[in-house]
Amino acid sequence: MGWLDANLISILNGVALAALLFMIAVGLSLVFGTMDVLNLAHGAISLAGAYVGVAMLDPGGGLGDFLVAVLAAAALGLVLGAALATMTSVVTSHLRQALLTLGIALIAAAVLTEIFGADVESVPAPSGLAGSVDLLGKQYPLYRLVVIGIAVLIALVLYVVLERTSVGAIVRATVADRGMVEALGIRSSLVLAGVFGFGAALASVGGLLAGPVLGAQPGLDNTVLLLALVVVVIGGLGSIRGALLGALLVGQVQTLGVSLLPEQASFLLFGAMALVLLLRPQGLLPARTATGAHS
Amino acid sequence: MTKVRAPLAAALLLVALASLPFVLAPYPISLAARILAFALLVVSVDVLTGLTGLPSLGQIAYFGVGAYTAGMVGIHVTSNVLVQLVAGAALAAMVALLTGAVAVRTSGIVFLMVTLAIGELTHRLADGLDAVGGSNGLAGIPAITVYPGGEPIILAGYTYWWVLTVFVLGFLLAVLVSRSPLGRAMRGVREAEPRLAAIGQRTYTIKLAAYVFAGAIAGAAGTAWTVQARFVSPGDLAFSVSAIALLSVVLGGAGSLWGPVIGASVVILVRDWVSGYLPGQGELMLGALFVLAVYLLPRGIAGLRPPRRDRPSPAQQEQPAMEVVG
Amino acid sequence: MAAHPRRRPKTVRIFVAGATSMVLATALAACGGGSLSSESSSGGGDSVKIGLVVPASGVYEPLGIDMTRGFELYLEQHSGELGGREIEVVEADEGEGPDTGVPATTKLITQDRVQAVVGLVNSATALGVKETVVSSEVPLIVANAGADDLADGSEYVWRTSFSNGAVGESLGATVAEEVGDAPVYVMAADYAAGAESIAGFKKSFEAAGGTIAGESLTPFGTTSDYQPYLSKAQNSGAGAIYAFYAGAEAVSFVKQYKAFGLSESVQLYGAGFLTEGGVLAAQGQDALGVKTALHYSSLLDTTENQEFVEAYTEAYDAPPTAYAVQAYDAAAVLDAALEGAEGTDGAAIAAAIGELGEIASPRGPWSFDDDHNPAQPYFLREVQDVDGTLGNAVVNQLNE
Repeated sequence: MGWLDANLISILNGVALAALLFMIAVGLSLVFGTMDVLNLAHGAISLAGAYVGVAMLDPGGGLGDFLVAVLAAAALGLVLGAALATMTSVVTSHLRQALLTLGIALIAAAVLTEIFGADVESVPAPSGLAGSVDLLGKQYPLYRLVVIGIAVLIALVLYVVLERTSVGAIVRATVADRGMVEALGIRSSLVLAGVFGFGAALASVGGLLAGPVLGAQPGLDNTVLLLALVVVVIGGLGSIRGALLGALLVGQVQTLGVSLLPEQASFLLFGAMALVLLLRPQGLLPARTATGAHS
Repeated sequence: MTKVRAPLAAALLLVALASLPFVLAPYPISLAARILAFALLVVSVDVLTGLTGLPSLGQIAYFGVGAYTAGMVGIHVTSNVLVQLVAGAALAAMVALLTGAVAVRTSGIVFLMVTLAIGELTHRLADGLDAVGGSNGLAGIPAITVYPGGEPIILAGYTYWWVLTVFVLGFLLAVLVSRSPLGRAMRGVREAEPRLAAIGQRTYTIKLAAYVFAGAIAGAAGTAWTVQARFVSPGDLAFSVSAIALLSVVLGGAGSLWGPVIGASVVILVRDWVSGYLPGQGELMLGALFVLAVYLLPRGIAGLRPPRRDRPSPAQQEQPAMEVVG
Repeated sequence: MAAHPRRRPKTVRIFVAGATSMVLATALAACGGGSLSSESSSGGGDSVKIGLVVPASGVYEPLGIDMTRGFELYLEQHSGELGGREIEVVEADEGEGPDTGVPATTKLITQDRVQAVVGLVNSATALGVKETVVSSEVPLIVANAGADDLADGSEYVWRTSFSNGAVGESLGATVAEEVGDAPVYVMAADYAAGAESIAGFKKSFEAAGGTIAGESLTPFGTTSDYQPYLSKAQNSGAGAIYAFYAGAEAVSFVKQYKAFGLSESVQLYGAGFLTEGGVLAAQGQDALGVKTALHYSSLLDTTENQEFVEAYTEAYDAPPTAYAVQAYDAAAVLDAALEGAEGTDGAAIAAAIGELGEIASPRGPWSFDDDHNPAQPYFLREVQDVDGTLGNAVVNQLNE
């Protein structure tokens, strides 16, 4: 019990970080799984969402203001995602997609720095959630607990939508057999643009929600992109359950791992990823063919 | 006739490059030397990505091994540049053998991420190792000498000539390997690995050989880098460098070897030279370059060359390296 | 089998065109003259070229902006002249690290032929250019980089900012007094600056009778979660924490120090960068009560500083930071040096700097010590709400 007592907060932090990473990374995994597109602009979209928070939120603002910002971030993500879908539709090779999306990411990052400046910016949490609660005798930020709840909700919604609704069925069908879907009169390009837009919206909202924890500054897009890539590759490209497990693993490595092995802290993340990939190259929970034809 | 044209053009280019120190001032010459060292790194990436179909973000690790080895040899052992070159390339090849033995078991995106891990772990190792200067980098590297007891080479023009020599040797080696049976085997792995395995070829050995060779080239590039900069720091091993190395390959046309060299030059010129006139806008310029290149150069810079009758068309060469997913 | 008659020559044309244009382009860009003979340093004419190399991109850009403003303010106040001579400022982007900073500085020296270089935020970059600066006989006035060994008395390296160890050392005795018997936990980012800062602090702290409860070096640039280390500090029974963080890490650290409840039981001390400039604005109320040591605060209550703050705020619509003052003073140093110099080449300027006495500065008068670092006052500051805005209020001076 002593060990748990000493490390409970670290574990909880790991889950909170996992929640944020899941929200940001799941879009990347979805887009790759359904459209076979490697979107390296994903980090920049997440950063744009954080800057929406910088622009729209003041310290002491209420829950209403925060929700409005969330909607704005989602809308921005949707637009960016749809634009990216169109731009990448003509490029088929993964390497050229990487070239294109990284180019877009560099331009987007430069534009964000131009608008918001180079200083580190804070995104304030809504005033009702900005405080700390007592957890087993220790103080813990309430906001992080809420973020965990939101991520669980999103994961459930995603599962239900993809597996139980007709919209989800259309998405899965488009992946499995695009020709048949077209034959049924459904414009598959719209479906795919929708998936891209939705994934980007999740990334943008994820970036906003991560704002009170990670802040907003130039360079954060690269950090987030790298983390998201690690999460989806560990979990298995194209798999939502994989993204969840990958996020949980990465979250714990970055918090509990660092706490237990401080000397090796800077090697833990990539060391863990290399280990997983060498033992299980397809990822921990690879996608079933329905949500991703590529393992 | 065409068989004469390409070597003739290459010879002309070489003469042009060799005569730069007569016309360029020291700063542009040192920029040119940096471009050549980086271009050799990009060649090593192309050997893996373009020729063997293994997209790599990890060559920077062996580049770093070469660079730091040359620096440490220079400070502690000898300023003889030949010793530094051999030590750097050999050590890099050894590290490539050790890491490649596990890395080439994977392919496609997984290989990409494993090499990313190798690159980043080496970067962090360099940052944490006080013996090589840690986060402050390795300073105080003496000027090189070419023969024992010779004068240290200080002037920018002469160090440029050494870097050019290393580049030409490395590039020629890569071209030779590309045209050898190993090169054909590498392209076979890229195009149809399962088929190759089915006829009894040991694809693992082929891939590992390519990996070690590429590692040695990257190590040599690293030693050349140290010669011209006389300073190595962990920042030289950052993820951003390996990313633009890979992207230079794509920009230039993966697999052609000379295309990525031009791609590398363009990337460095845009980022460092052009942004000298627009301070702080280097990343924006680079981003614009990449986006334009994807749409205007669908087969990379190498794709601008009109196809010969007896050479496979660039469209086939464009076959994405990652599609052969294991 | 007949080849298309017009296609084949194109291959050669592309190559030749490419080669010639490359040569032409680079030749046009160069000042010409070749690089096979040693360059002579410039020094003629009335106008003096000064190179200003600060970050214009990357994570250190905010510091670069402050430094440029400080330098240019001084120039503006003196009609663009230093030491009675007209000044031409050549700017270069240091970027984030030595891979961009070293070439940028080398360009200023070898290509633009500046007679002095001012700037440099990153210590690794400064250490990397040291040799070039000495061999080219161009004085370098470091306006930020804090590596302890950077300034060691070398004729061409001067510093108007600080050394990491000295800042930490200035705080040790005061902390020992204020915490009494309770031990102190030390924390820093795991790179040279962090280690040097802690070493300086421990030296004077332990000499004054203090005890160290524990030490943590957090991975530099990759840590966003300080809670494990904050927990360790709390569990060690420490009465206070001494921390060295800058930039985004300072923001995260201070905010988490507050969010995980340590602000109620453990006093936070640090090197001034913990709460300097834009960092304080991002930390907001979470930073109240944090005590730091630095050689400057915009709230320093002297006439000299008040005039400076007024002029700076009017020109740039923001309060000055230590980074701005460091660059401002660099200009002041050049002003005094050029006035007394025998010529305008690098060697003459360097010699003249060596002859300088006291420099009047917004931080208080200071002069170069034997290592060419500033022998200067350090202040104990506390983050307080001053007239509605947060600032580093000066509590007292730490050294004589």
